[in-house]
Amino acid sequence: MTPNGAFTVGLVLIAMSLTNPGPRGSAILIALALAFAIIEVRGAALVALRRAALIVLPLALFMGLLWVGIVGKAPAEIAAGAAGTRAAALIYVARLCGRLLFIVAVVQLVIMRFDALTPLQLIRALALPVAAKRVLVITLSLIATLRHAIDRAHIALIAAGTLTRAASLRNAVHSWRLIQAVWLSAVTIMLGRMRDKWPVENTLSLLDRSLETGSARLFAGDDRIWLPITVGAAIMALIADRIGAS
Amino acid sequence: MFTTPRLILIALGAALNFSIGTVVYLLKLPIYLDSIGTILAALLLAPDRRAAFVCAWAAAWASLALSGLVNPFLPWFAMTDVAIALVTALLTVGAAATFRAHPLRSSSFAAQVVLCGVATGVVSAVVSLPVVVYLFGGVTGSGSAFLVALFLESGQRLMNAAMLSGLVNDPLDKVLQVLLAAMLYRVTPGDFIALLRG
Repeated sequence: MTPNGAFTVGLVLIAMSLTNPGPRGSAILIALALAFAIIEVRGAALVALRRAALIVLPLALFMGLLWVGIVGKAPAEIAAGAAGTRAAALIYVARLCGRLLFIVAVVQLVIMRFDALTPLQLIRALALPVAAKRVLVITLSLIATLRHAIDRAHIALIAAGTLTRAASLRNAVHSWRLIQAVWLSAVTIMLGRMRDKWPVENTLSLLDRSLETGSARLFAGDDRIWLPITVGAAIMALIADRIGAS
Repeated sequence: MFTTPRLILIALGAALNFSIGTVVYLLKLPIYLDSIGTILAALLLAPDRRAAFVCAWAAAWASLALSGLVNPFLPWFAMTDVAIALVTALLTVGAAATFRAHPLRSSSFAAQVVLCGVATGVVSAVVSLPVVVYLFGGVTGSGSAFLVALFLESGQRLMNAAMLSGLVNDPLDKVLQVLLAAMLYRVTPGDFIALLRG
């Protein structure tokens, strides 16, 4: 399966989950996602699901505290001007978090499907213009650069006595200096790369050459099985609950 | 339009949006701070408004693509990012000379920051409203949901509560973001800016 095929399957699943499907439609989408997890992702699917749970769990706790604990009503009850119950609020938050868990899990499954690829290889395989691929690669590289810049600026400001290691009022007052130092550090690093390092090493043309996919086809291999199944499942998910209702 | 330095700027803006926005989201603060890179990208390309809009928009969407892995709410606000990029290019870019003036003219600087921040915030609140209300029923995972809950508790309807929350929260958030972007713009080395505009 190609990354283009996997991302298309993921996008269709996410789009369908946003159409607010009923129980049958939801079951079809979950079954398709599970089939993708078992057949394509295999053992790594557990890692993807654990990551999705770790992302959504704090969100669920926050929303539970806010909407069940503080507001105590579901939005529909508020809109209708009804008295409202905490049980209805809990159901609403559970549904919303379930949908978010599904979306995050699908994203993680698609990413885990290509866990063996480096970010550069994954981006290279995507059907995007070379300029967009270049921006994505440089952005990922810059996030790592920013992390290093944060570490260096943080240590330097602690050594200078501007910030402290533990949480303190001094840190709150001078946090701006950290942001400024990180930005200047990142800009200086990028200036150095653009002016000296990249031209000498011919980095950008080498990057462009490595990002070009040449005559590679948009979809190939198992995409030809997964894409019709996904489109069929999407249509089924759209009509399944209507058939049940009529 | 997309010269190498500008592609770098887009990536820098995206990385800045992602880094600060993710920290704020995980801390559940009642602000966002996820567009500083977008605003800064536009300011660095002043006075070319078209380049400022396109590069700010690209930075915003590149960071959305990455932030969606951490914050599942964020990708649905893609149109808000377009609106922020547009207002920044049309309004905030006009204040670039004031933001970079040496010595700093504090009253003029403050007035421009507040004006640009409030305008960006109001537009952002209005564009985000349909997503907040119709897609998530007023329930989002950010700290600003506290404000929605507060307004609902005071007897407001959902639409009004989400709108009021946006109108209270977004202008404050955007004033802070314009202030941070303007201050970063002030300290950015001139040769980097010349490279971007050249």
